[in-house]
Amino acid sequence: MTLTIRARRRRIGNPVAPFGFLLPFLIPFLLIFIAPIGYAIVQSLQKTQRVGGLFGVPTTVWAGLEQYQRAFSDQDFIDSILRVLLFGVVQVPVMMIIALALALLLDTQSARLKRFHRLAIFAPYGIPGVVAALMWGFLYDPRLSPITDLLGRVGIEPDFLGADHILWSIANVVTWTYAGYNMIIIYAALQALPGDVLEAASIDGAGPWRLALQIKVPLIAPALVLTAVFSIIGTLQLFTEPQVLKTITTNITSTYTPTIASYSAATANDYSYAATLSVLIAVVSFILSFGFLRVTSRWNAA
Amino acid sequence: MKQRSTLRRLSAAAVAAAIAAVALAGCSSAGTPSSTISADCAPSTGKVDLTFWNWGTGMDKAVDLWNKKNPDIQVTLKTVPNGNAGTYQNLFNGLKANTAPDLAPIEYDTVASFRLVNGLKDISSCTGMSDASSKFVDWTWSQVSDGKAVYGVPQDIGPLGLYYRKDIFDKAGLPAPTTWQEYYDDAVALKAINPDYEITHFSQTDPNWFTGLLWQNGAKLFGTEGDQWKVTIDSDKSKQVADYWQKMIDEKLVSTDLQGFSEALSKAWDTDKVLTWISAPWGWSTIRDGAPDTSGKWAVAPIPQWKEGDTANGNWGGSSTAVLATSKHPYEAAKFALWLNSDPEAVSILIKETGIYPASKAAADDPSLTGGVDFYGGQKIFDVFKTAATQVNTDFIWGPTMTDTYRFLADGIAASLAGNGTLGQALTETQTKTVDSITAQGLSVAK
Repeated sequence: MTLTIRARRRRIGNPVAPFGFLLPFLIPFLLIFIAPIGYAIVQSLQKTQRVGGLFGVPTTVWAGLEQYQRAFSDQDFIDSILRVLLFGVVQVPVMMIIALALALLLDTQSARLKRFHRLAIFAPYGIPGVVAALMWGFLYDPRLSPITDLLGRVGIEPDFLGADHILWSIANVVTWTYAGYNMIIIYAALQALPGDVLEAASIDGAGPWRLALQIKVPLIAPALVLTAVFSIIGTLQLFTEPQVLKTITTNITSTYTPTIASYSAATANDYSYAATLSVLIAVVSFILSFGFLRVTSRWNAA
Repeated sequence: MKQRSTLRRLSAAAVAAAIAAVALAGCSSAGTPSSTISADCAPSTGKVDLTFWNWGTGMDKAVDLWNKKNPDIQVTLKTVPNGNAGTYQNLFNGLKANTAPDLAPIEYDTVASFRLVNGLKDISSCTGMSDASSKFVDWTWSQVSDGKAVYGVPQDIGPLGLYYRKDIFDKAGLPAPTTWQEYYDDAVALKAINPDYEITHFSQTDPNWFTGLLWQNGAKLFGTEGDQWKVTIDSDKSKQVADYWQKMIDEKLVSTDLQGFSEALSKAWDTDKVLTWISAPWGWSTIRDGAPDTSGKWAVAPIPQWKEGDTANGNWGGSSTAVLATSKHPYEAAKFALWLNSDPEAVSILIKETGIYPASKAAADDPSLTGGVDFYGGQKIFDVFKTAATQVNTDFIWGPTMTDTYRFLADGIAASLAGNGTLGQALTETQTKTVDSITAQGLSVAK
């Protein structure tokens, strides 16, 4: 008896088995995720050297941190980081407040046509980013837009594509696209709240406002943190909207956001530099996301 | 360089965005194709299959004709997005991964970028290439050849001319301007007649249009000195052009919020707001399609000159058909490229079906290019371009990192249009940054 049990235990304790089960995840994870990141880091430590002739024969050599030095002294790149940070500081809270407000509204007893509203608010997320940007582009273009046309008749001449406004015009597209997506996550968290807690609060005399702000919001804090982290990462990777609007405005440069700067370097066959910028974007995202998690968990603990 | 509408341009941006996602994820394997200085170009044995990437429509008709005539060399055509909308990037990646096609269109300004990655076959020793240069408009050969090696066969060109609203000029009593000074005076005069009139649009998204204007003034953006590059983007000749247009921008004589090939621009043409376009022969259909209400009101004149009586010209757009370095059948590929761009029947198809203006000398007399064009009041507009093609400065060469140079220039032009600088400063910045970009590629720049 004892013997068989031991043998069985040993078999259960086979150290290789779990990895066998993990393989379907590990293989694509390593190939599609870790390997490219590793390769980008390797590339970021290299540079191209050429010998002989006008075009020369290229060889790739180790360059240490030369590309990083270049990036840190690249004012255009630094500006692009600062630009998306400014964007994030404004856009992420605004979008989160809208998403939270919509989710709370949908969650109230008195909400009507819940299913329809949920779908309608979520719908923009289903539209590909490029299409959304194209659509908004037509609404922004002063020579084509029905909005500027109408506003112009009452004497307001908004310049959606102007130097001072373009960043916020982009923020508007991003908010429009992602507010519904974040709302769904928050709404799902609200749905999962235990009914007895809410009932107890109601019996204790909490009105709908109190119920929302003092009971529901603290309880769904993890969902809020999650959506905020995703939004922060999304902000740093801002690409599609400005890249599409670039074709109709003079105020988006080839280094407008960090990812556009990296893309521009890659298109110019400057792969090492593009890789360097990508790595830096990833590092900044990590710092911000984990910094945010750190701060919020401290709040929760306090 | 073919005509594009906003939608197409925007969708090009979309494709670029999608490709970027892949590019950013860290594409491309290590290793560059080996140098292609080998001069032999021997035919392959047996039946050969070639792949040919091309953008735009109509190329299939020419390829079909070739395939019918050459059962042993079959060409498979794949239609891809415009070069700068992602195809060049795909070609660069394909060269590394050995998945590039045998043939692709390479615009003149991009030939050097491909040479930088040793991406093109030298086809100078292939059959028929030794005397091919005489078949093409003179200056095009220097765009594809360094004098010895040949990296492509010229296909189309874009010598500049002035498209203008003849009806409005006539009404104002103005003849077509022959000098830039006259062009400026006309802009002022037209503005005085109607404050809505703008002589032309100055686009941020067409830096290659602006380099065409620099080219016309004899400005050389690049040169070589032995094994070193010379960068002279901010030369006095360039500055003269920049200052001229800066004045036009400062005095609000040109529209600064219209991008090339945009819906908004078409609308501005169609509603008599923008009155001229300095453009290439391929631009004729861009106006026709964008501004149908102005049919019969446009005409084409030679490009205004910097000096009275001069006949200098520059070029905007145009491409060559090149054999990629990874091709296993350079002999057959070169044979096809040469046929496609010099055989009268093939070029005739290209003119009619793809809308190009040919680099082939003989094709300038193709029936499609000798008649009057209704949209231009029956004017034989291609006669203007036929002359223009022979007047393009021949010694203009492109830098090895034009993608970068163009984007620096576009960023600088954008700043100037937004009132945050001048075109002169744009040139200076482009100069500095281009030197850095060339140096970053491991090349040396002469001081």
